[in-house]
Amino acid sequence: MAASGVAMPTARDRGRPTWLDGLGGQLLALLAAMGIALLLGSLITIAYGENPLEVYGAIAKFSFGDITGFGYVLANATPLIFSALAVAVCFKGGMFNIGVEGQYIVGMMTAAWGALALDFLPGPVLMFAAVACGMLGGMAFAAVPGILKVKTGAHEVVTTIMMNGIAVSLVAWVIAGPLRYEASGGGFNVNLRTDPFAENARIPDFGHLLGVGPSANLTWLFPAAVVTAIVVWFILRRMRLGFEARAVGASAGTAQASGISIGGVQIKLFVLSGALAGLVGMQQLLGDKNFLPVGYEAVLGFTGIAVAFLGQNNPIGIIFAAILWGVLARGETAVQIETDLPREFIIILQGILILSVVVTYQMAKRRLFARQLQKAAAVEDLADSGAPGDMDAIARDDR
Amino acid sequence: MTDETGAGRGSASPLVVLDGITKRFPGVVANDDVSLELRSGEVHALIGENGAGKSTLMQVLYGMYPAESGRIVVRGQAERIASARDAIALGIGMVHQHFVLVDPFTVTENIILGMEDGQVLHLEEAQEKVVALADSYGFRIDPAAVIEDLSVGEEQRVEILKALYRGAEILILDEPTAVLTPAEIGDLFENLRRLRDDGKTIVFISHKLDEVLEIADRITVLRRGKVVGETTPVETSKAKLAEMMVGRPVLFDLEKPEVEIGEPILRLEELRGGRLHGCSLEVRAGEIVGVAGVEGNGQRDLADAIMGLRPLEGGRIMFGARDLAGLGTGATRNLGVGFIPEDRHGQGLVLDMTLWENAVLGRQDDAEFLGRGGVLGLRKIKEVAVRLLEEFDVRARSIEMSARTLSGGNQQKLILARELETEPRLLLAAQPTRGLDVGAIEFVWRQILYQKAAGKAVLLISAELDEIYALSDRVVTLYEGRITAEYPPDAPPEEVGRGMLGDVAEAAAG
Repeated sequence: MAASGVAMPTARDRGRPTWLDGLGGQLLALLAAMGIALLLGSLITIAYGENPLEVYGAIAKFSFGDITGFGYVLANATPLIFSALAVAVCFKGGMFNIGVEGQYIVGMMTAAWGALALDFLPGPVLMFAAVACGMLGGMAFAAVPGILKVKTGAHEVVTTIMMNGIAVSLVAWVIAGPLRYEASGGGFNVNLRTDPFAENARIPDFGHLLGVGPSANLTWLFPAAVVTAIVVWFILRRMRLGFEARAVGASAGTAQASGISIGGVQIKLFVLSGALAGLVGMQQLLGDKNFLPVGYEAVLGFTGIAVAFLGQNNPIGIIFAAILWGVLARGETAVQIETDLPREFIIILQGILILSVVVTYQMAKRRLFARQLQKAAAVEDLADSGAPGDMDAIARDDR
Repeated sequence: MTDETGAGRGSASPLVVLDGITKRFPGVVANDDVSLELRSGEVHALIGENGAGKSTLMQVLYGMYPAESGRIVVRGQAERIASARDAIALGIGMVHQHFVLVDPFTVTENIILGMEDGQVLHLEEAQEKVVALADSYGFRIDPAAVIEDLSVGEEQRVEILKALYRGAEILILDEPTAVLTPAEIGDLFENLRRLRDDGKTIVFISHKLDEVLEIADRITVLRRGKVVGETTPVETSKAKLAEMMVGRPVLFDLEKPEVEIGEPILRLEELRGGRLHGCSLEVRAGEIVGVAGVEGNGQRDLADAIMGLRPLEGGRIMFGARDLAGLGTGATRNLGVGFIPEDRHGQGLVLDMTLWENAVLGRQDDAEFLGRGGVLGLRKIKEVAVRLLEEFDVRARSIEMSARTLSGGNQQKLILARELETEPRLLLAAQPTRGLDVGAIEFVWRQILYQKAAGKAVLLISAELDEIYALSDRVVTLYEGRITAEYPPDAPPEEVGRGMLGDVAEAAAG
């Protein structure tokens, strides 16, 4: 308002971008959430008769005490970055992909098949081929709920949960049947797994470049995960697909009226999400064991939901959230070795952390919006600015 | 200040005095030393553009914001109103623009909510009280009806009864007519007159001048947080009020440009589907066709059908030589159709995205903006966004703000900017000025007339007969999904009104 002495604003004044405000707010909120979680965690520790400082000290020592410890943390974080990105991609388009779990399990299966069937490929080509097979498997498995949603309206939460069950059973069958390790001789249960892959299918170690010991098993997948996060950020922020996805996610009606094909965007997002999910299992499959056992590490897809949430579905935020989660996972070992606390303490701590994040992010969001409104108030009166739009909602109900 | 209502209403000592109220928000003074008197038994209209501070002032009175300075005197006593609870205790009630009712509850349950005595509900007793209260003011309402079954007008009645049940003597209504149909507005005004005659004081916040002139006893005009004048309907006129509100003369009768009417651009043939039951009409180049009708007669479906947003059961949408039916929204737009949707938030803007993103929404795949490999040319997009915001006078601090932070008028300008930038051959404008203030309405009207002047075809769907008259070359009436009649733009409103109700035995022009 010019009359109230505020400089007449122009559109040319770019100001501080909203996302920057958002990022700052998120960091603060995350720190506050961690503070709350640590505080409540210490109460539990005290109730258990342990010294919280010693417990946290142990976690810190194991995670940051030496470079190999931190290597463990990053190795823990690697699959979580992929699975959280897979969740976030769908979430940006307004969809909840609970099926990252099943998609990565299927991805491990197809990658295992690729590593075994394509073993004639030379050198690292085999490794890349196996990874590609994993991504394709995840994509194909994720495309199903995407297509079902668009063509029939079946809700993705229901279909993806159901497909998780299918994935587990499918992989169990494949390991027990077509891909079963035949050379093992006796011991039915012990050796229920696929044949070992050729050594050139293995993803090489990255940790030694940083001085991380080989036990941490920090492979080139970690830098690949960081690059992938940046690529996902670029897709969401700088590319047409991401632009349309965010419009669909934030207001499907407006996106549709502007001519965006909502179904097309949703299927693309699901396929992209599936490709990312296909990478989740590569750490354990090609980075660690080099065969697919029936007792593979599960639940990484579900953990990805928590990590995506912690990173507020921001690809860059997800990197840090995954590392934080990696610290907690490392803490499990620390707690068991150095203290008398049960390892469930860490799970409780994770739960508390998520809960406090829910609260602090909401508070940060409100403050951020209030600030935005205040800034807008330099141009328009705060109290009245929201008012006219409310009628639109009522008009909608009138239909 | 003498009592000039002419009806001898009101008493000598004012019921409420707001004295020198100042309320600041960061960066803006919403109320700057505002003084106002409310007398008992009057309808006091508080008018001003969006952002003039009228809602803020009443929220201060209702205890929702503390004022930085100033006094509130109620019945001769200085009061400190720190919460809505304090306000209610003083007999001040407020009906907000969007209602706060519990949908699955009955009328009675909603009215007594928060006023229950003890732990056991005495619903029958309460219902009797509600009925007695409603009867005493002649409110027609079924106390046992469930809220979700009520019309918007009835819900509003429940809100008013809620305030009265709490003993309100002073009733603040924030833009009460914005959500009502013309018939419901008539009912509301009747109810308000009854309340006034019973000695209640009503504050009527509005920017609809015709209504204010009809219902108010006194009118206070706010502009940019200050009182710019106080008047009565007898002393003033629509034009005078508008000038006071906006600070410059406002033209309600914009001159329609003389344009040669060209060939047909849009021809609807027997559209069926949803609420459309055989809707046919034609719009030619250089022509504005106004679709008048009571809301709920297929307006929304008509717009959605043309834009490919809803499936059709039959009929053709001829755009030049092409049938748009089944073509899809994107293709329809690319052929040269601009769309101003009636649902600004649900169809017009993505509120949580930035202004620059909204400014190009739908054009992200234009060669101008889309680089190789699906990468967006952000620099170019932002350049265009900045230019559009300037050309269309969208007042915003930065193109990085979210669209949510804009006022309704600026939101609509942003939509206009986006839709007109591509120079569409047909502009489909649905309720283009709904909820906007006088200045913004004039802006939107001018833009629509520019389209005509440029030889474009415009299909205007509006519930505001004023708007239809101000802009249209031809007026058609939509009733139960059909065009019932066609009128010249100077036909008497009563005649058009009959067409809006399907009563066209003698008009028979359609």
